[in-house]
Amino acid sequence: MSVIAPKFKFSEFVKSILDNLFWAILLLSLIGIPLTQIILFYIEMPVINGELLTPFLALTWIADPSRTLPIIKAFMTTDLFRIAAFPGFGFAALLAAGTIFVERKMLAKLQLRVGPFYCGKIEGILQLMGDGLKLISKEIIIPAKADKPIFWAAPVIFVGAAAAFVALIPVAPGWVVADVDVGLLAVFAVIGFFPIITILSSWSANSKFPFIGGIRALHQMVSFEIPLILSLLGVVILTGTLNLSEIAASQSSFPWIIFLPIGAIVFFITMLAELERIPFDLPEAESEIVAGWLTEFSGMMYGLVQLGTYLKLYAFAALFVVLFLGGWNGPMIWPPFPEEIITKGIEAGPITVMIPGLPVFSQEMINGVIWFVLKTVGVIFFILLPRGVFPRIRIDMLLSLGWYKLIGLAFVNIFIALGLLYAGVLGPGGIL
Amino acid sequence: MWLKTLKLKLLIEVLLMADAIFLALSVLTIGSAIAALELRSLIYGSIALMGTLGGVAGFFLLLDSPFVAMFQLAVYVGSIAVLILFTVMLVKRELIFKKIEDKRRKFAGIALMLVFMVGLGAVIMDSGIKSVTTDEPAVDFRDIGADFLTYYWPALILMALILAGSVTGALVLARREDVESEQRTD
Repeated sequence: MSVIAPKFKFSEFVKSILDNLFWAILLLSLIGIPLTQIILFYIEMPVINGELLTPFLALTWIADPSRTLPIIKAFMTTDLFRIAAFPGFGFAALLAAGTIFVERKMLAKLQLRVGPFYCGKIEGILQLMGDGLKLISKEIIIPAKADKPIFWAAPVIFVGAAAAFVALIPVAPGWVVADVDVGLLAVFAVIGFFPIITILSSWSANSKFPFIGGIRALHQMVSFEIPLILSLLGVVILTGTLNLSEIAASQSSFPWIIFLPIGAIVFFITMLAELERIPFDLPEAESEIVAGWLTEFSGMMYGLVQLGTYLKLYAFAALFVVLFLGGWNGPMIWPPFPEEIITKGIEAGPITVMIPGLPVFSQEMINGVIWFVLKTVGVIFFILLPRGVFPRIRIDMLLSLGWYKLIGLAFVNIFIALGLLYAGVLGPGGIL
Repeated sequence: MWLKTLKLKLLIEVLLMADAIFLALSVLTIGSAIAALELRSLIYGSIALMGTLGGVAGFFLLLDSPFVAMFQLAVYVGSIAVLILFTVMLVKRELIFKKIEDKRRKFAGIALMLVFMVGLGAVIMDSGIKSVTTDEPAVDFRDIGADFLTYYWPALILMALILAGSVTGALVLARREDVESEQRTD
């Protein structure tokens, strides 16, 4: 007789499983399905195979494969899918998670360490999942004299602001969450929220180290916002639009980095400073002020701030790609979808399977996403690389770099763009 | 009698105007403005001020001018509110502010505000704003830019000069030779 379950009987075990199954089926059929139907009555349904999808037909996709793909395709055009999954949060979070793992492993290799090694059989590939589980299961400790509402809200607003930034990035032609006419200005507006969140959270913790870190972050972000905005004006001057999709589409023959390399370099440096990465990581300088403005965060609050940081990293890298590296433009490397599968179906011996609704994604979209992801991963690599190479710089050097050198270089970039525009080389009506 | 019909007319007009988003934005803007004035905690006051400025940005969005709305967010919420927050955080408020609580001051302030609002409202209502049709397409910001560079160029130059002058003045005021030479060792 075991100690854990002293009165264990196999028949009782089977009965408990059957009981649970019975209750699950009963509750699902009495509450779950009617509730789904009621919700479906309030949702605008798509037209599938020439007939409107009614709530009565909504569950037929489980049994009828000819309806499955069209319904999935209709679902992919909804706003919910765009916000939660593909060009929005899910896609960005996936890339961010990859970034965290690659950063740790690459940094370790650069410094001749092993890095994450034991979690998961191959090279510690499950380390990130382990870290996430640890952060979720840890207790959240709030300092006794902290300003609780602001302290609780700050990580959530931080992730929200980062997600708003991600939502403005066009990934492929037509695949963007918020295709606003003044996209670049919206980016500037969103970037302006990060210093507020940082300084509020660091103040609300009511502790010395976070406050010092927060003030450093404020100095750094506010002074680097100016060269950041100025360095992007060259692209706006040459394209004549603020819409990020149009800016990306305007680079179909050549990316702007060819003509505006100074702007790209200035933007890259300001990007490192806005992201608080080495060599500009004074706000969370772990060897001086514990963890800077993150010191008092614990458990999942810290996890949320980290998630927001890496979402922001992805968004900045993607913005660099959209503005300077041509976005989704690139040679067609994805083969076209085989025509005979659409017209004749898949033949396997005696059976021929016709699958309506194929192809799910167009060739242009897949090709665009591949190029976009390749370029973004490259830019992220160059953002990660200085961490293994450079030391941290002093704050007066940082501020003089931002206020004197970068602003000057950004103006040089603007004058180059203006010169190209007025010489008639580039821009609306230019020869190229 | 005519007063009653006038009231009814006004009520109907207000109800027609009352768009849900507009109402929510008005409540947000006015409520956080009152909170910014009345809250004892300076930090929460400046957060409420941010709410007010963000609400004004929302009004610009409702008025089909996202360009102005984004600048409102970037400049007022992103920079000026940060400046206020920063100042408030580094200041011991007991040292500069003396509490003067006075019923008469409060009522005088409210009366002054009412007079001011009625005056402004009269001016706005008299300015021909009622003849504006609301279903016209929004003005493109490119047209505004072109207007600024052609017809209104003196105003643009004047603004640029004022801004440049104030930035230079701020730099001159902030420059302190004594402190700098003391701190710098290299």
